[in-house]
Amino acid sequence: MARYLLRVNGERHEVEVEGDTPLLWALREELGLTGVKYGCGVGLCGACTSHVDGQAARVCSRTVEDSTKAKITTIEGLSRDGDHPVQRAWRELDVAQCGYCQPGQVMAAAALLARDPDPDDAAIEEALRDNVCRCGTYPRIRAAVRRASRIMREAR
Amino acid sequence: MIDRRTFLRGSGVAALVVAVPVPALAAAGGLTPNVFVRLDAAGRITATVPRPDTGQGVRTVMALMVAEELAVGAEDVALEQAPGDTEKYGPQTVANSTSVRQMSVPIRTAAATARCLLVTAAAQRWRVAAAECAARDGAVHHPRRGRLPYRALVPAAAALDPATVPVELTPPQRWRLLGKTRDGRVDARDVVTGRTRYGIDARPPGGLVAVVARPPWLGAVPATVDDAATRALPGVVDVVTLNAPADGQGGVAVIARKTHQALRGRDALRVTWQGGTPEADSRAWLADLEAALPAQAPVAGVQRVFRMPLLAHAPMEPMNATAHVTADGVRVWAPTQDPGGLRTLLSRQLGLPAASVRVEVTASGGSFGRRVEPDPVLEAVACSRRAGAPVSVLWTRVDDMRHDSYRPMSVHRLTAEVDGAGLPVRRAHEVVTWPLTVLPAFGNPALIRASGDHFPYTVPGDVSVTVRPAPLRTGFWRAVYAGQFLYAEECFLSELGTRSAIDQIALRRGLLPADSRLHRVLDAVADRSEWRKPARRGTARGVACHEDYGSAIAVVAVAEPGSRRVLRVHAAVDVGVALHPSGVRAQVEGCVVDAVSTVLGAQITVRGGSVVESTFGDYRWSRIGQAPEIDVTVVASDAPIGGLGELAYPPAAAAVAAALAGGAPVTGMPFGAEVG
Repeated sequence: MARYLLRVNGERHEVEVEGDTPLLWALREELGLTGVKYGCGVGLCGACTSHVDGQAARVCSRTVEDSTKAKITTIEGLSRDGDHPVQRAWRELDVAQCGYCQPGQVMAAAALLARDPDPDDAAIEEALRDNVCRCGTYPRIRAAVRRASRIMREAR
Repeated sequence: MIDRRTFLRGSGVAALVVAVPVPALAAAGGLTPNVFVRLDAAGRITATVPRPDTGQGVRTVMALMVAEELAVGAEDVALEQAPGDTEKYGPQTVANSTSVRQMSVPIRTAAATARCLLVTAAAQRWRVAAAECAARDGAVHHPRRGRLPYRALVPAAAALDPATVPVELTPPQRWRLLGKTRDGRVDARDVVTGRTRYGIDARPPGGLVAVVARPPWLGAVPATVDDAATRALPGVVDVVTLNAPADGQGGVAVIARKTHQALRGRDALRVTWQGGTPEADSRAWLADLEAALPAQAPVAGVQRVFRMPLLAHAPMEPMNATAHVTADGVRVWAPTQDPGGLRTLLSRQLGLPAASVRVEVTASGGSFGRRVEPDPVLEAVACSRRAGAPVSVLWTRVDDMRHDSYRPMSVHRLTAEVDGAGLPVRRAHEVVTWPLTVLPAFGNPALIRASGDHFPYTVPGDVSVTVRPAPLRTGFWRAVYAGQFLYAEECFLSELGTRSAIDQIALRRGLLPADSRLHRVLDAVADRSEWRKPARRGTARGVACHEDYGSAIAVVAVAEPGSRRVLRVHAAVDVGVALHPSGVRAQVEGCVVDAVSTVLGAQITVRGGSVVESTFGDYRWSRIGQAPEIDVTVVASDAPIGGLGELAYPPAAAAVAAALAGGAPVTGMPFGAEVG
């Protein structure tokens, strides 16, 4: 066990864990950020998708000791009030069914729109390719990313 | 209450009923006319949701029903999830697409009772007839006396005897919320901000985590356990051997302070295993099913054999449960489809009165039939009993994929005697499959047939079911046996239509009885899909329909066989009165993606006694790029509320397969792959 400093959602947190602890479990169990979901632990389902230095990242597949220099944003830190354009679009189009994969889907979509504000369907499908939704909300996700893009455009 | 109301209305004395104050019913300054709905002294409304929400939208429909009857907005209704207690809340099991159907009348009646009490209290205050008053926007209104907010009426309403107040449900033509399209999920904000608490998020103070070393091949049990290396690791608290069936599926549990420590502890275990079937192979199982087909079909004619694979549930939230066993009883937090059944089972197994067993229902990250089973909870109970602390058992994705209760394999031989025009005049459907081991009653061929056989056409014939022993755990998977039976029936009918160059929709309409509900949905889906126009070059279409759960659906799929892509799926559905149209469409969309996933390649295989697939990397569930456009039409209907959670899967799979086949016969699923 050792102490590590993590920068999460704009704040510094000290955690005491084994250095090879996956970042996912430190976020969930040490910092209580349970919006970050466990789905497979090996980077194949996207449920834990968060932002590391602004990029969508699978936090189940990187360790705490490799994350001390990174700027980490989880679903809890995406917006102050839950009104990020992606979150608004998800609500407007009633995307979620069970909702378990949706924090990861939202974070993947937000990262995509940050680098490509007006993605076509191919770009959306590429960016969200490895975010599995077992309920099958994909058609609404596609539409919601397009809606979020429009919300962002109208706000500019 | 309904009976009483009907009686009063029928005898024309409703207006004469006198509400008598019964102070004993007034509780803590609030109005609690029943277990589902209450108002506090400030007039705030809380509804208790009797059934779990596994993603099918029960909580949303609950909020809409209560808000409708209490004349407020859905956002004005706070929701509480009921713990397992069927004596108090009635049936709580999420199964057989019954939730909304069975909740509709009791919940609307419960909320209407509260409204009628408030209206009666206002009428008494104003000394006017209740019929002159109306509830609107959280208040009772009278044309001349003005307006009294609910909070001003709660004490007086609570003093009335509900049995003396006639209760009338709001008629559908006056609904503001139910049946409208604009309302989304009530929990949507929590979902997109990560605040929804699933089973995996339950961690009571002082709680520990356990992961279980599970049999490396089917049916194996631990022979020797060397846990020295495990116990030496930081954070490891205990190692417990779990014995099936009392402790779940069995294995060796490592209990630790943190998940990572438990996983490392499990890696360090040295367990030898014995028994079971280390040679089991799903290709041999399929051959065994096929060999059990009767020597000869009872009908001669066109024939096709269908082979269906094992399927896993694979919900996004892997199996998990949290339990805290104390001297006084047990408390469980679980993403379950069956809280009442869990409570009964734990009470019996632990020898505790039901009152000492509390089952808290969390949100569920999907289910699809898996979470009617108690095994993760039994594991958590065994671990907590040993540890003397709350324990959360987590299944890894690999655990979940390899230790599921799978949809059974099956072989179907369909035979049709056809007339000169190629129409079937006599049919035979011979099925060989396994029972559902999670519910022994499902070993009965008659029950398997009742679950699977929903052949709606007027073709006489025979359906026979041969049951072979299940070589692994099998369970309820969305649509249960209809997923195999109806898929084979509809794919075979498509083959007959293609052979005789008969239009697939006309073929079905011609074979249906004149009064079938399926005519309307077939017409609607023909319109939406522009069926009368020929298919575009390079594309092919498939059709299927299905009536079950009190609902009817027809599906048209459009695919590009060359690239194995499903482009579009149109569905028209008659669910009777649709309470939440966006939720209705969502259930159909989900079934369509299940259909595309299972037809295009997701299957479970077994080699050397163990399940090969381990993650979403090799259990090939659809990704966003494989999901077609989906167009769902909710056909207006005044039929009673029907069920929907499972309805669309079998016909969507058949329509998708027929479209991908592009006129070639379909022989099972996954399409174009070896089965098993």
